[in-house]
Amino acid sequence: MAGVQYTLNRLVLMIPTFFLVMIIIFLLVRLLPGDPAIAIAGDKASDADIAAIRDKLGLNAPLWTQFWLFVTNTLQGDLGRSILMRAPVLDVVLARLPTTLFLTIYAVTLSMLIAGPLAFLAAVNRGKWQDNLIRAVFQVGLSMPVFYIGLLLLTFLAAHLGLFPVGGYGDTFLDRMYHLFLPAVTVALYTSAILMRNLRSAIIEVLDAEYVQFARAKGLPNRLILGRHVLKNALISTVTLLGLSIGQLMSGTLVTETVFAVPGVGRSMLEAIFARDYPLIQGLTLTFAVLVSAVFLMTDLFQSWLDPRMRLK
Amino acid sequence: MKAAALAVGLAMSTALTAFTYQTADALERGGTLNFARYDGSKLVDPIYADRNPDIWMVGSLFSTLLETDPDSGELVGSLAERYEVAADGKTITLTLRDGLKFSDGSALTGEDVIFSLDRARNPDLGPWSGLLSAISNVSADGNTVTITLENPDPALLSMLATFNTAIVSKKAFEAAPGETDQDKSAAIFAAGGPGVGSGPFFLSGFEQGASMSFSANPHYWKLGEDGKPLPYVDGVEFQVIPDDATRVLKLTAGEVDIAEFIPFSRVSELDADPAINMYLFPSTRIIYSPINTRETRADGSPNPLADKRVRQALNYATHKDALIQLILQGAGKPMSSPVMSSATRLAVDMSPLYGFDLEKAKALIEEAGLEPGTEITLTTLAGSADDATIFAALQQMWQPLGITLVAEQVDGATRGAKNRSGEFDIHTYGWVDDVNDPSQVTGWLGYYPTRKAVGTGWNNAEFNGLYEASSTEMDPEKRADQYRQMQEIYAEAAPLLFMYETPFAVAVSGKVDGYIQTPLGNNIFENVSLER
Repeated sequence: MAGVQYTLNRLVLMIPTFFLVMIIIFLLVRLLPGDPAIAIAGDKASDADIAAIRDKLGLNAPLWTQFWLFVTNTLQGDLGRSILMRAPVLDVVLARLPTTLFLTIYAVTLSMLIAGPLAFLAAVNRGKWQDNLIRAVFQVGLSMPVFYIGLLLLTFLAAHLGLFPVGGYGDTFLDRMYHLFLPAVTVALYTSAILMRNLRSAIIEVLDAEYVQFARAKGLPNRLILGRHVLKNALISTVTLLGLSIGQLMSGTLVTETVFAVPGVGRSMLEAIFARDYPLIQGLTLTFAVLVSAVFLMTDLFQSWLDPRMRLK
Repeated sequence: MKAAALAVGLAMSTALTAFTYQTADALERGGTLNFARYDGSKLVDPIYADRNPDIWMVGSLFSTLLETDPDSGELVGSLAERYEVAADGKTITLTLRDGLKFSDGSALTGEDVIFSLDRARNPDLGPWSGLLSAISNVSADGNTVTITLENPDPALLSMLATFNTAIVSKKAFEAAPGETDQDKSAAIFAAGGPGVGSGPFFLSGFEQGASMSFSANPHYWKLGEDGKPLPYVDGVEFQVIPDDATRVLKLTAGEVDIAEFIPFSRVSELDADPAINMYLFPSTRIIYSPINTRETRADGSPNPLADKRVRQALNYATHKDALIQLILQGAGKPMSSPVMSSATRLAVDMSPLYGFDLEKAKALIEEAGLEPGTEITLTTLAGSADDATIFAALQQMWQPLGITLVAEQVDGATRGAKNRSGEFDIHTYGWVDDVNDPSQVTGWLGYYPTRKAVGTGWNNAEFNGLYEASSTEMDPEKRADQYRQMQEIYAEAAPLLFMYETPFAVAVSGKVDGYIQTPLGNNIFENVSLER
């Protein structure tokens, strides 16, 4: 019962969040220097053409009128028409979102698969060479920019060794797994480095905790101690971090999708910003906000399952 | 054959290719060409195409009445086999070829020409209607099309070879779903099938920003060396790969056959690869920097650049060959005409146009009485490596003049807005001709009523008068003379920092033959054949 109430509360709280996001993004986009009408008409257009396009786009209307239209249309599921793509924003988002989601989920899965076992290995061998080696490798991963790692992987694994395709994103599920492997690894390397560090210290902390010492004293098998007591408790802070990282992962797709020529929402976002495509920027940001909020909600719910004390607060 | 094809080399390679076709036992037909693009098309409709990635594709899907011969640069017949201009220059009569068909097999008639040209000159539709403003009526009788003009227009024949006058099928267009012209156009491109096109290919697949597919039009009128309809290939598959390095990797990995917009820093490396032909196609692209010539800056302070002598001094103090080495690794040449590239018709060769002369520059600065330490801002594109190099080089080059160059980095949209509002001292810019006639670029750079002479605010009555006179001058010699005078006036006034011309750098797999990018940038696939 407490769980249902908690979920409902969290959902209701999301309404003002979205409203705030809408206000901020609406104003931020309009604060950008540069005129979408020029971006559409091109530099070569005359001033009269620009004025006509501004008029047609409703950019001459007072700000609050534009905002009111934005809010009411959005509530009706109409995100407007993309200036750049010449199509409804919702269509653009829906067409490209699956690719980005696929890439993000793929990257998250890979980060956990990389970070989990290595963190465990490092924690259990704290201070030994295994620990030092793992930490050193991840330090390098953390300090390199995402696009650079991407290019390195492309050059060696794809172009030279021919193990993976250089670009494209495949048709079937397996084909996508294959095509998006390098982009997913690129994004995952950074996240897994952060996760690994956090999980390693969490495991170490739990290993030293009294209840683990007590469990050992009781003579519980090692597998049970590590599985039930250590991992579940160590995961609490890592899950929070993972939730936060997903927001970062999605912004990472802006770069990765460009380097790997993957047509997802990240690349659309970059294109939209350069073209001052107000409706598309707004639509994409809102989509990002919804997704990140959903991830945070799930993180909280998962955390409250891991740690029942959360629900009572 | 391994060569970086400049003007001569290109002509030679075309001739060689033709020779091979004739002597080979059988020309290889079929196969799909894979092409890596730097940016995707949004709408490949003749009248709505307004960005280069759109414009450069139109010719593959739609033919025009006339076209530019890639070898001679002269206008020749395309859908129209011949044309005639009346003595008073106010009527153009064109004769369509017999048996023309659209890609769905339906007949292409005079009605389609009327429909297409009326659509192209409708100011409520596309952004290019102004190029056809001289037309008052288009009519057709059988295979004869008559275009009546309000006033003679020497550029009009070139417009009939320009993407926006390409012929679309009236029947297919009207049958398309949608209320407005724009809806119908969008519906046709979304459907991805033959029907509306008259070019060597039709659009068979289109995922915006990601990929595009062209399939061979079996009814194309032009014949190949083997006497069968062009094109030789079954189709072209385009992938959009915005990252330069990834595009090159795709080509070297053999995943694509052609990669465009090769960064100049990679040209020599690809040229050395025996499996790749590195082409530097001659282009109409010029890189220049507009200079604000207004008496005061946007903030009201006096503008040192309003003095012609200062602008001239900056031009003399700019070592163009050094810039070309730094930025293009030598693959370019200094601008030789102040308003157009040397590949544009009526360009006057004025080289060296402000050749490097530091002493002259210093003298001019002194004459103008410019205070040492004067600050000038160069507005550049954030993230552009080329612009960063230009800034660093100019800062060094202009320092002996006592000028402190300050950088301001913005994105493209902001730069465009600043150009319009005049809130800049100098900014980087570039141009590629859209039309095979110098009127467009000359109007853009120098004629004040068109966008205040590329935003510089330069307003010269003599230049403006010459430009207006040239736009109705039907005598080619007189027109050429007007253009010569305009170039001289412009060079002297120097409202620009004249920099350089760059070619189109395209890397092509050795198994591809016959690909051309024209000086206007159009991608020509109709003569491409693949070795298999």
